[in-house]
Amino acid sequence: MRVRRAVIALLSLAVIYGIAAEIGRGRLPDRIWMGSHYVENIQLLPTFRSLAEEGSFLIESNILVDSIAVSARRVLFGLVLGSLAGILLGLATGWAARVEYLADPWVTFFRFTPALALLPLYVVWFGYGETSKVLLIATNVAVVTLLGAHQGVRGVPRVYLEAAASLGAKGWLVFRKIVLPLAFPDIFASVRVAAGLAWVTIVVAELIDARMPSLGYLLALAGAYPRVPTMLIGIATVGALVLVFDLLALLLHARATRWMKRAA
Amino acid sequence: MKQRTLLGLVSLLALIGAYTLVSSVVSRPDLIPPTQDIAEALGDLIGPGYQMPAPEGHEGHHHHSSAQVDTLIQQGVTLQASLGISTLRVLFGLAVGLPLGILMGLFMGWSRRADDYLHPIYVLLRSVPPLALITYIMLWLGHSEAHRLIPIVYAVAVTVVIPTYHGVRDVAGKYTVAARSLGARGPLLLAYVLLPAASPAVLGGLRTAIAIAWMTAVGAEMLMAENGMGNLLVGGGMWSSRLQTRSDPAVIIVGIVALAAAGWAMDAVAKIFTARFTRWAR
Repeated sequence: MRVRRAVIALLSLAVIYGIAAEIGRGRLPDRIWMGSHYVENIQLLPTFRSLAEEGSFLIESNILVDSIAVSARRVLFGLVLGSLAGILLGLATGWAARVEYLADPWVTFFRFTPALALLPLYVVWFGYGETSKVLLIATNVAVVTLLGAHQGVRGVPRVYLEAAASLGAKGWLVFRKIVLPLAFPDIFASVRVAAGLAWVTIVVAELIDARMPSLGYLLALAGAYPRVPTMLIGIATVGALVLVFDLLALLLHARATRWMKRAA
Repeated sequence: MKQRTLLGLVSLLALIGAYTLVSSVVSRPDLIPPTQDIAEALGDLIGPGYQMPAPEGHEGHHHHSSAQVDTLIQQGVTLQASLGISTLRVLFGLAVGLPLGILMGLFMGWSRRADDYLHPIYVLLRSVPPLALITYIMLWLGHSEAHRLIPIVYAVAVTVVIPTYHGVRDVAGKYTVAARSLGARGPLLLAYVLLPAASPAVLGGLRTAIAIAWMTAVGAEMLMAENGMGNLLVGGGMWSSRLQTRSDPAVIIVGIVALAAAGWAMDAVAKIFTARFTRWAR
């Protein structure tokens, strides 16, 4: 039932778009005033046919695949780097109150700094290349996962810690056998959120600093010409990638926390 | 509590001190501006937007800390004005986006059938970064304020759907069943049971939405706006030539600190608001 309704909803959305595009063809303005000049030959609602043509061109010329590869690599590097730093720090702040107090002002600062605001600074420091983009994602991811790991450690029920202590376990053993597994779901949830944020950040960073072939660059080019089919395919590609990353994260999560279901 | 404040202060001062030391030892103001440069940039940016030209024969009128500060001041950009404009954009995004997102979340949480149909569409909407739409919106609506505001509205709306949805389904579900068995229905059920029960989750979503709205606003302004904090950060300039000139890190640092402060202040207000409204839940 659920699946059938989902299919109906998505199909009807596609059909409505198709009809709107067919009606709009030739009727929507194709000459648009951009504030300082006119742009010609605009299809505001490209038909499925022109989308398919544009899509096959982008795929055959390897533009799309290359762009995906470049952006995905940045996201992955940033995600791994940022998660490692964020989780380690978050575990530390959750476990030791002193560390938390020391880190508190800086965590607050980075939490409320919009990640994109760091881009110009990183460009000054690390140049236009990969480093500034990977580090931008890493910073963004680190803040989110730090809070996740912190909450995860803090959420461990006191009873467990006391039970372990009364059995003589302490320090590292408690941390490894009790705190870490129990904090895992929270950590994982934060990594999942961070992955979504990382995609948003990178695409916009690439749009603002449009140089290398990448998804953001593709969108920037499509916007500069402007070529609506390319634009829509770019947007759809980013959306699909966000979705795929999210699904992968969910699958991994289900796999890694299977023991919890069994125990319950 | 006392130790917390003390250690926090120590860490804050220690890092600022370390930064001051490093920046004066390295002495590369184009990369790590000394602390006094940052303070100077802050002063210049807060000062009157337009400086009167120096009187005749009076050599060496006021010298600003960098070319970026000069450009910004020539354009009449001040920190407080930029912050005000960005805040207005964020508030507009919240004012329009929150009702939209909350309505969709309520609807999806309320009706199983609506959820089945709308959820896949929502997942599609959620996956699209709002700022990626900016040029497309511009083609439809022209060069205007719309393409800066719509992404913020979009981001806010998409963010609050899920907390509302879970608030209605998971939290309010119990109360709804109880109220229904007592004969409550329709508007009464909505106003007295469902909305209050879902409100902690919704208000939790509000705080996330504020952060997302700021991020989107700054991004949109960096991409294409002649004002606001994003514009201040990239030092003016036109679309597609932004970030091409080397920016002054002192200005950027001032901007980042101001943004962090603004975000923090708005979050604090939301926190107080949340505490007021959800007192019953404690």
